[in-house]
Amino acid sequence: MANEIKITQDDRYAAGIFFYSALPLLRVIVESEPKFAAKFKGKSFVFQVSAACEGEPGGKMATHFVIEDGVFTVKVGKAHESPDLEFAFPDLRKFAIFFSGKGMPFPKIKGMSKLGYLIPILMTLLRMAALLQATDAPKKESDKELLVKLYFYLLPNGISRLNKMGHPEIKNFTQTSPDRAFAWSVKDKPELNSYIRVKAGNSKAGRGVYKRCKPFLTMNFDNAQHALDILMSKADMIEYIKKGFLFIDGAPEFGAALGNLMMTVAYYAQGQYIEG
Amino acid sequence: MAGGLSFTAVESTKLATAEIYGKTLSALGDENPNVVALTADLAGSTKIGDFKEKHPDRFFNVGIAEQNMYGVAAGMAKCGLIPFASSFSVFASLRALDQVHTDICYQNVNVKIIGTHGGTSFGQAGSTHHAIEDFAVVRGLVNMTLICPADGIETALAVRAAANTPGPFYIRINRGFDNTVYSTSDYGFQVGKAVTMNEGNDVTIIACGSCVYQSMQAAKILENDYNISARVLNMHTIKPLDKEAVLKAVDETRRVVTAEDHTIIGGLGSAVAETIVESGKGCAFKRLGIPDKFSAIGLHEDLLAMHEIDAAGIVKNVLELMKADFEAEAVKKGLDITKLNFGTAEDWTDEV
Repeated sequence: MANEIKITQDDRYAAGIFFYSALPLLRVIVESEPKFAAKFKGKSFVFQVSAACEGEPGGKMATHFVIEDGVFTVKVGKAHESPDLEFAFPDLRKFAIFFSGKGMPFPKIKGMSKLGYLIPILMTLLRMAALLQATDAPKKESDKELLVKLYFYLLPNGISRLNKMGHPEIKNFTQTSPDRAFAWSVKDKPELNSYIRVKAGNSKAGRGVYKRCKPFLTMNFDNAQHALDILMSKADMIEYIKKGFLFIDGAPEFGAALGNLMMTVAYYAQGQYIEG
Repeated sequence: MAGGLSFTAVESTKLATAEIYGKTLSALGDENPNVVALTADLAGSTKIGDFKEKHPDRFFNVGIAEQNMYGVAAGMAKCGLIPFASSFSVFASLRALDQVHTDICYQNVNVKIIGTHGGTSFGQAGSTHHAIEDFAVVRGLVNMTLICPADGIETALAVRAAANTPGPFYIRINRGFDNTVYSTSDYGFQVGKAVTMNEGNDVTIIACGSCVYQSMQAAKILENDYNISARVLNMHTIKPLDKEAVLKAVDETRRVVTAEDHTIIGGLGSAVAETIVESGKGCAFKRLGIPDKFSAIGLHEDLLAMHEIDAAGIVKNVLELMKADFEAEAVKKGLDITKLNFGTAEDWTDEV
């Protein structure tokens, strides 16, 4: 067909990050913000986001949420046979364009008439987009902390997903790594912490404080604002280290390596590879 | 602490260990006019610039001539001074060995040798700059006290202890930043006395230098993942060795693993092994360190991992030792060894 889009490996990597790392953050928003939790109270349904993809089981990549009386369970990378509500994209490219904010190729919405499900989902998705696609840090402290949490959860999951998909640069990093954990933290806010453990090609993204031992390297920010300044590329990391806003607890060489992995996730999550 | 200088954990995370040595030496120079500093054209690398600025009349650069430096230091000590002669560990222990042996140790003079860039901590510089035999060499020298501190705070304490104790000292420190082991300097540092970093009764890990931090992390993993209770001893003084602590560990934990950034021949592991064997007591035992070969070149952290003296490597070796010991015991008792489980299935599912 003349207009057929050729799905690239970059589209697959980007889709992997959105399905496995970004979409699950919907649950984080619902659990962190009571006003969003209230929108789902008493409701039980299955919501799914999917994109048609050759070679995947059922011909699509998907992540679905099982919501039972407002409590979310995330099923990443798994298609539900009969979701109550589904956003179905025709291909991975359109899916990536939509979620990276590069364009608005709207999905086909199955179950559109179920407004009781659709409206709270749409509002939560819009809240997530408003936070993650913002170019400036929010004003409210609670919003800042939520956004830091979203970034901190997205980054290790994104790195781990790319590793599991065989991204060459990240696979090379994990394959040559002994058992090490890399963590992100904000002073006195352990609930925001996240980490990734890597070992000989394996990786696992986790949330909260890494408990097996002290992480091999931790990016410690002194507050949420300074964390966002770095995560949103608003400040120079070296300058912040000098000022004491950021303390890299670990060998500096590995801090630089971790920075490169974070930039790789950003490359896909921000759709930087998508032309135009 | 006598003399007043105390390094906090915050300072110890901002300063490389050699910088802490430099500041401690500078403070000692303020307190005691007999303290002098010598360098073989490595003042910048060994971080004794502070002393040079504050006490230029007591600072001596002998040029690129380590042998000469230790001979000069011995003469100064004979005149009642307290020389701190700093160089890279590999040069202090090997290139200048004859002078250290004959001019310093044989005379039993009050020279303090500070070997920086110890072990594989100058990893990228290559094997010629790795000091992986210095414990073996220096431990054999009569009259010498040999210390390998675990972090910056312990380095400051060791340097002060050396200044206050007559006789030759060799203190080996790392090139760059060390992971912080101590948050305070009042934990009771004593030359020749091991520090118990973690109590345990299944196995004892005896470590020095950067391996102390790694062993503490290994103990956490062993506890969390395998329910193994590991004692960790910081054996900062390799000579004279705290034999009492070693034998107590043998009695109470029955299994001993040593970890050092040094060849496994002649260093901490050998000193511990000699103590155990001479006691007539038996225990399961393993030395961790650099096998009998020159190290590869690379970042210190990667070399620690390569030689299995990082946390993960220590865990792996402790598990192997425990397994071998349990299997031997099980066979003796006719038990089914297949029921011994020392591995936990690792879950690599991402949390969402």
